[in-house]
Amino acid sequence: MVNFRFLHSSDLHLGKAFGAYPEAIRNRLREARHGSIARLAHAARQGGATTVLLAGDTFDAETPSPETLRHALRAMAAERDLTWIMLPGNHDSLAASELWRRIATDGPDNLRAVTDAAPFEIAPRVTVLPAPCTQRRPGRDLTESMGAATPAGHLRIGLGHGAITDFSGEEGVAGIIPPDRATLSGLDYLALGDWHGRMRIGAATWYAGTPEADGFKHDTNAGALLVSLGGSLEVDVVETGHFSWRSLAVDLLPGDDALSRLAGVLPTVDKRRDMLVRLIVSGRLPLAERTALEQEALAIAPDFGWFEHDFGGLAADTRPDDLDRIDRAGALRQAAERLLAEAQDEARSLADREISASALARLYAIALEVQK
Amino acid sequence: MKIRSIELTNVRRFSGRTARITGIGDGITVLSEPNEFGKSTFFDALHALFFERHRGTKQSVKALQPHAGGAPEIALEIDLPQGRFRIEKRWLSRATARVLDGTGRLIAQDDEAEAWIDRLLGNGLSGPSGLLWVRQGLLGIEPEGGSTNEKNERERGLNTRRDLLSSVAGEIDLMTGGRRLDAVLARIGQELVRLATSTLKPKTGGEWAKAADEMATLRMQEAELADKAARLSGDLARRADVMRQLSELDDPEAERQRSDRLVEAEQTQKAAVAYAEKLAEARQSLKLAQLTEAGTQTEIQRLEQLSERLVIAEADLHGATGKANEAESRAEELAKLDRSSASTLTSLQEQEKELRGRFDVAQRARLAEAARDRAQALQKALHRAEDLRRSRENDLALQRVIVVTPARLAQAEAAREVLDRISAQLEAQSVSVSVRYDGAARISVDGTELPDGGHLIDAARDFLLPGIGSMRVDPGSGTGEDLARRRTEAEAALKSKLLVCDASSLAGARQKLAETQRLGATIASTDALLAEIAPQGLDVLRQELARAQIDAGAVSGEAGDPVALEAALVDVQAAIAQAQARATEVHSRAVIARETRAAANSARQAAERAAETARLDAGAASDLAVRLQSLRADLVTQGARLSEAWTFCDGLEKEAPDLEMISAQLSRAQSVVTQTRTRRDSLRNEFATLNGSIGALAEQGIEELLDETRGRLAAATAREARYAAEVQALARLRGTLEDARKQARDAYFAPVLRELEPLLAEIHPGAEMQIDDQTLLPVALTRNGQQETLDILSGGTREQIAILTRLAFARLFAKAGQTVPVILDDALVHSDDDRIEAMFNALHRVAKDQQIIVLTCRQRAFSALGGDRAVAVLTDA
Repeated sequence: MVNFRFLHSSDLHLGKAFGAYPEAIRNRLREARHGSIARLAHAARQGGATTVLLAGDTFDAETPSPETLRHALRAMAAERDLTWIMLPGNHDSLAASELWRRIATDGPDNLRAVTDAAPFEIAPRVTVLPAPCTQRRPGRDLTESMGAATPAGHLRIGLGHGAITDFSGEEGVAGIIPPDRATLSGLDYLALGDWHGRMRIGAATWYAGTPEADGFKHDTNAGALLVSLGGSLEVDVVETGHFSWRSLAVDLLPGDDALSRLAGVLPTVDKRRDMLVRLIVSGRLPLAERTALEQEALAIAPDFGWFEHDFGGLAADTRPDDLDRIDRAGALRQAAERLLAEAQDEARSLADREISASALARLYAIALEVQK
Repeated sequence: MKIRSIELTNVRRFSGRTARITGIGDGITVLSEPNEFGKSTFFDALHALFFERHRGTKQSVKALQPHAGGAPEIALEIDLPQGRFRIEKRWLSRATARVLDGTGRLIAQDDEAEAWIDRLLGNGLSGPSGLLWVRQGLLGIEPEGGSTNEKNERERGLNTRRDLLSSVAGEIDLMTGGRRLDAVLARIGQELVRLATSTLKPKTGGEWAKAADEMATLRMQEAELADKAARLSGDLARRADVMRQLSELDDPEAERQRSDRLVEAEQTQKAAVAYAEKLAEARQSLKLAQLTEAGTQTEIQRLEQLSERLVIAEADLHGATGKANEAESRAEELAKLDRSSASTLTSLQEQEKELRGRFDVAQRARLAEAARDRAQALQKALHRAEDLRRSRENDLALQRVIVVTPARLAQAEAAREVLDRISAQLEAQSVSVSVRYDGAARISVDGTELPDGGHLIDAARDFLLPGIGSMRVDPGSGTGEDLARRRTEAEAALKSKLLVCDASSLAGARQKLAETQRLGATIASTDALLAEIAPQGLDVLRQELARAQIDAGAVSGEAGDPVALEAALVDVQAAIAQAQARATEVHSRAVIARETRAAANSARQAAERAAETARLDAGAASDLAVRLQSLRADLVTQGARLSEAWTFCDGLEKEAPDLEMISAQLSRAQSVVTQTRTRRDSLRNEFATLNGSIGALAEQGIEELLDETRGRLAAATAREARYAAEVQALARLRGTLEDARKQARDAYFAPVLRELEPLLAEIHPGAEMQIDDQTLLPVALTRNGQQETLDILSGGTREQIAILTRLAFARLFAKAGQTVPVILDDALVHSDDDRIEAMFNALHRVAKDQQIIVLTCRQRAFSALGGDRAVAVLTDA
């Protein structure tokens, strides 16, 4: 029995732009993605593997910038004791002929770009059965080719990219790659890419997920899979992510200590720089506490690599005390009461109610400032 | 609060003395003193007691000092709901403030006393009490001079107004949010002006505009990059396709097949061309043989036709000459016959003319005889008709004289019946008196002697009985008088009706009616006879008679027997008709014979010309036959040659290849080779171009840039939306606040105006006041629909408005349980007598629940104000 250990990764999306983020964090995020090559190499080396299978979408675009491509190829070349197997994914499919032409021209010796579906041996008696993406949307199950025969006694490792379930649509919609592809094609392991979170489909079928998170969609820590074939199948998770992306949800009700609740979900200060946080606050709060919470959110935001708060789901639980703090009587009070009524008027559109709610919150804040 | 007494010690002119006013009542209290007494000193002192801290040393305090110096002291007794209190203040030296209760117990001193006063006034120095101080020149009537005193006075008035405004503003603050709201609005304004224009559009240079600009810029960049990315993607796909096509074109086996097909097609085409040339030569020979034979045949035909034409022309000439001679003889014969027929006809026509003349004379004689008979009959009828017409006119004249008609007669008869009925009634009711005289004496009635016999007395009559006396006979009841009157009327009516009938009696009227009826019958009979004799009238009858007489006189000369003449005329006419028919027929035949003769001569001439032409064309007849024989021999030889040529040409054509098809095949093979070469060159060029384009675009990292730009665009869009939402929220907040403030102000001024309305009605009935929501002062007065701003009103009107406004405020405070005195210091100096009376009424109206203290030097004018009189008592301090 042959024993073989390798590192399974995918979806590096090198060159991803992160244009929606401020320039400082944008550059850090891009740099972190490039750094994932070195961290994968380190993880492989630490795990005793000399081969890294990249199951597609190594590059974010069909024609990455020359710098992105050059830096990636140079980084892989620098890990000269490792062999990189690079499969075209939907983002960098074979239709991106210029990309694969350049890789063929400029790629290092320890990089093997898989540009056809022919099985190949990556180690003695270890055959990879690849299913490179021919197009961004090939419209067929490319992994059918994994049923190709291999010499007896060879380990059969499938390397594919695509959806088993339709990740972009509703959960449970039938996808393209059959979930039991490993069984159908007699694979010892099916290394898949496309899903950015880590996911176990079956004992021998895994999505490794991206080694460096790029959004708030997945809760798992970004990493790769250290796979051992031979006597028994072992799949170990190796964390490789530099940045942590977290959606923090806080649901509040009147009486809650909003600031304490916020503090409870926040990471310690020393971890915040490499974190991107989306704070989603829902429920109801009195105006004073809402204002305090907003001020606190604004105060802590610079601690993080990126911080965004969304109070859209937080309704104002306006009480007489709140309005009293605006004014006990007179025009200010009347205006506050009118805005509150508008904000709570179900007959108005949601957008219109939000305008009134926002106006009331502004009135509250300004009235307090003026009082000072 | 109500003031009960004021006590000034060592204040201004009261140096070393105490001036005291006591006994101030609940309503109006007037302190009427001449100028220079110091009324304004009382006013200023009260103001200082309430509003100047006892430790104060500012000018307003020092102004209380007398020229001799010393510490001014002021004391005031007031009644509050809790009881009576005394407030004392001393300034400058051993300054102190004290508040004592009604028993004289000290309840607050110095700062505590000041705090007590502040509480009394509600909100300290800015409290509402400031409203109630009204002094001369407060509103509009300010000294205009440039002296120090006048300037100070103006300044003091201004300060007072400011104080008033401040106090009112304090109330407004309470109602409208006041300065806080202003501050909030200012903050909102700052926020808005930072982001938006006045119309809530992004402000140039502002953050919102920057976000919008960035969004627009990024959108353009995104579009450009998307276009490039699409181009790159298209180029990549195209390059792959080009590579595939080039690969197919460069396949050696395909190249060899294309070359072999071309060589084969070229050889086939060369052989086919040679064969086609041989065939064309054979066809040319055949064509030549055909043309030669056709020429010979044509010449033979021409000579044969010429010979035949000559024979025919000679025969035609002979025939035409015979016909011409025959036509000439016939024409001569018919001409003679035509002349004879015409002569016979002329003779008969002359006979017919002579007979017709004689017949006409006989005919006219017979008609004149008939006309004479008719004239005699018409003359007789005319005489008869004229007699009848005269009789009818006489009857009509008689009838017109009689005016009675059946209707008129009926009316007269009815009047007669009425008269008879009344007469009968009168007779029935009358007294019958019979007189018989025995002596000479006679009875007279109404001066008329009454004859013997019976008399009906229908009415009261006095009978004079000579020697006896008189006797009154009365039918009784007075009825007789009425009937007598009615009978008189009936008689008059009958007379009137008879007069209409032109009769004196009914019998006469009836006779006249019978006469007119008889005349009517006679006239009708006459009309019937006239209609029969002269149905169309006498004039027509006379015209007919005249015509008959003319016809009868038209006969002249001898006349034969018309019957015999008519029979002879008929016979001659029949002979004429027969001769005319014969002449016409002969003439027609003669004309035809002439035309036939002319045609025959013409045909003979034409035949002569045709024969001459044929002779010229044919030449000698022997030559013509020789030439024909020679040509017929040539034709036989030429026919044999033509047959041989046909056989040879048909043989070649049957074996000829399809040169067109062979050429097309060659063209196709050549085209394939050429196109392959051209296409390969084109694809290689395109491949190179695509490589360049792809390389250039790939070098730019278009997709990464596009992805980044799209992200930045999303962020900018979200940022712009946040700013837009912020502006919306701020705008709504501002609008809501302004609405609320306006409503609060409206609500605030409504009660003021309600209180002001009845007071204003005393002075200016029907007028309305407008209050400015910024200055909180009256700004305009509307009278009779005309709005006048305060500054154009007279001084008197302005001061009246100023006082009334304060009275209105005072009533409001009173209603709110905040009763404060109104103190007027020489107010109403510009008002005329009528208006002062009205103002006094207004003051009394307010004074029912409001203390008013009036300080004035106008003793006489203010004597009409009524109220209590206060007296200032001076004592040494």
